[in-house]
Amino acid sequence: MDTELSFNDEIANVMYATHGNPIKDCLQCGTCSGTCPAVEFMDHTPRVIIGLIRAGYKDEVLASNTFWSCASCYHCSVRCPAGIDIADMMYALKRYSMWKGQHQEGLIGPVFSESFVKMIVNSGRSFEPLLAPTYIFKNGPQGLVQEAQTATGLMLKGRMPLLPKKIKGLKKFQNMVRRIIPIGEPS
Amino acid sequence: MNTKIMMIDDDPDFVAGIKSILEKADYSVNVAYNPKDGFQALQAEHYDLLLLDIMMGRGAEGVALARKIRKDPKLKEMPVLIITGIREQIAFLFPGQAVHPHFVETDELVEKPVEPKFLLEKVSALLRLAEEKKSKVQE
Amino acid sequence: MKQYAYYPGCSLESLATSYNLSTLEVAQKLGVDLKEIKDWNCCGATAYFPVDELLAHTLVARNLALAEKDGLSDFVAPCSACYKNAYFTNSYLKKDADLAEHINYALEADGLHVNGTMKIRHLIEVFIEDVGLDEIEKKITHPLKGLRVAPYYGCQLLRPRKDHENVENPQFFENLLSALGAESLDYPSKTRCCGGSLIVTNRKAALDMVQILLQDAVNRKADVIATTCPMCNVNLEVYQNQVNREFGTQYSIPVMYFTQLMGVALGIKPGKLGIGKELVSGEPVLAFAY
Ligand code: SF4
Ligand code: SF4
Ligand code: SF4
Ligand code: SF4
Repeated sequence: MDTELSFNDEIANVMYATHGNPIKDCLQCGTCSGTCPAVEFMDHTPRVIIGLIRAGYKDEVLASNTFWSCASCYHCSVRCPAGIDIADMMYALKRYSMWKGQHQEGLIGPVFSESFVKMIVNSGRSFEPLLAPTYIFKNGPQGLVQEAQTATGLMLKGRMPLLPKKIKGLKKFQNMVRRIIPIGEPS
Repeated sequence: MNTKIMMIDDDPDFVAGIKSILEKADYSVNVAYNPKDGFQALQAEHYDLLLLDIMMGRGAEGVALARKIRKDPKLKEMPVLIITGIREQIAFLFPGQAVHPHFVETDELVEKPVEPKFLLEKVSALLRLAEEKKSKVQE
Repeated sequence: MKQYAYYPGCSLESLATSYNLSTLEVAQKLGVDLKEIKDWNCCGATAYFPVDELLAHTLVARNLALAEKDGLSDFVAPCSACYKNAYFTNSYLKKDADLAEHINYALEADGLHVNGTMKIRHLIEVFIEDVGLDEIEKKITHPLKGLRVAPYYGCQLLRPRKDHENVENPQFFENLLSALGAESLDYPSKTRCCGGSLIVTNRKAALDMVQILLQDAVNRKADVIATTCPMCNVNLEVYQNQVNREFGTQYSIPVMYFTQLMGVALGIKPGKLGIGKELVSGEPVLAFAY
């Protein structure tokens, strides 16, 4: 119990509650990489990421965009012959890198997750993903013009709200959140 | 007799640092890197103090564990020092607000990073408090 | 009449209003009594997992608790992501007593309690299992004769559940479409991901994934792609012009909710089904029924 913890075990601990098998059972068969619809956009394939974790390459893994490019489609998870929930591992890696504040620069994923969760905690409801860039980047990234054109089209069709609704029992809702995340006045 | 401290924290680098500080001060330290193993260790053996992290595994599991300890008749008197980096990790949810402790009977909360001197003071203060409480009960 | 706890989800209140409209119309026609859960909150799709998964389950559990409080035993979601979240949180509540205890401690602050006893299903499952294809077929007044439909299941309707009849090649959507009188196409991409969760965070990847699905539908000479999820629908429909710009293509394929197709076949007026709100007009589809 007392010996230095390997990177593999560290990641296993982040996902220890999952019901899949531990990543050390990986056969390196490549089924996950062959299945993955987002693999072209990843620095390392899912199979390689698992290989790197097992070999203890912490810095390489943290610097990779792989888990932030995962679309959470669970195709790999249902196909893996070793019964590993790879999609869940990708979430665990996101969590690990967010908590450490260590991830590849310029990624939108971490900022987006933050804003999305914040929005829900503040209102009980979420904004439209379409409008997300407007909320996230105050000064508008490239592509926002396109986004705005699409948004105008949707607005005309009566499909775009300006602001998200709020739930009625917001105060009690937030007290509930504070019992899970111990920040702010306890109830 | 040596004072026995249990530490439950998922960050191996942080654990190594704290452990060496405490061991230099003659405490005996045992470590678990996830709440599940940690709870098992606490049930298997008596510890005088628990150092507990908050963000582990799926999320703020430290809170769940502290609540479990409080409900356990054998463990509920054990003082708990919560050492957390939660502010860095997810405080963006409630900016500017304090982390609240009081999950167990006797607890105290400090935020990472921790100064060695400060840590040792907190540890001995909590141990002393627990001692006093115990002798009061015996009187 | 059996009542169902209905969880529309955020998208159905805005971008996917036509999904909500058509769901309610079709349900009424088929005698499925949907009772919207009071003051429900967003279940957070997938955004919480990188932050705090306990919080994610708690937010989903609140909706389950609200539904349980109404004394209902069936939970229905038309959004695949919401459905998947509800399904798994519910099953973890049953399997993991510590998790259930902790979540209930949080819910207590909101005056709620969850047992994890509800039966969680996606809307399409309720129509097929509880109403039945025979019953649906009997009520068809405007069969979609000759309409070539690509049935798009997407991801979360099927996965990561592994106990579906056939995760890799399901047939229930095809069977429903046939009951409507439509021609259900063999659509190889039917369970391939549309990249919905990447549309904000990795636009290029998402558009690439959408393009594959659109091209596959064109290859099959589909008149329309049918969806079971607001996110898939938005991805395939609203972003079609961006795909065209990115790849120099000229896709113009209507994308409709399965409930809209059901509604048309059941003789409900198109306007009541939200048809007309598309960016890629669904008008051509109607010609097959009228
Ligand atoms: S499919 Fe499973 S066993 Fe094969 S490489 Fe991927 S994780 Fe390893
Ligand atoms: S869940 Fe992620 S890693 Fe697995 S196949 Fe889908 S996109 Fe690829
Ligand atoms: S998952 Fe999507 S549609 Fe469902 S409630 Fe959350 S934001 Fe709304
Ligand atoms: S990406 Fe599309 S198909 Fe995949 S889960 Fe999300 S909405 Fe469903």
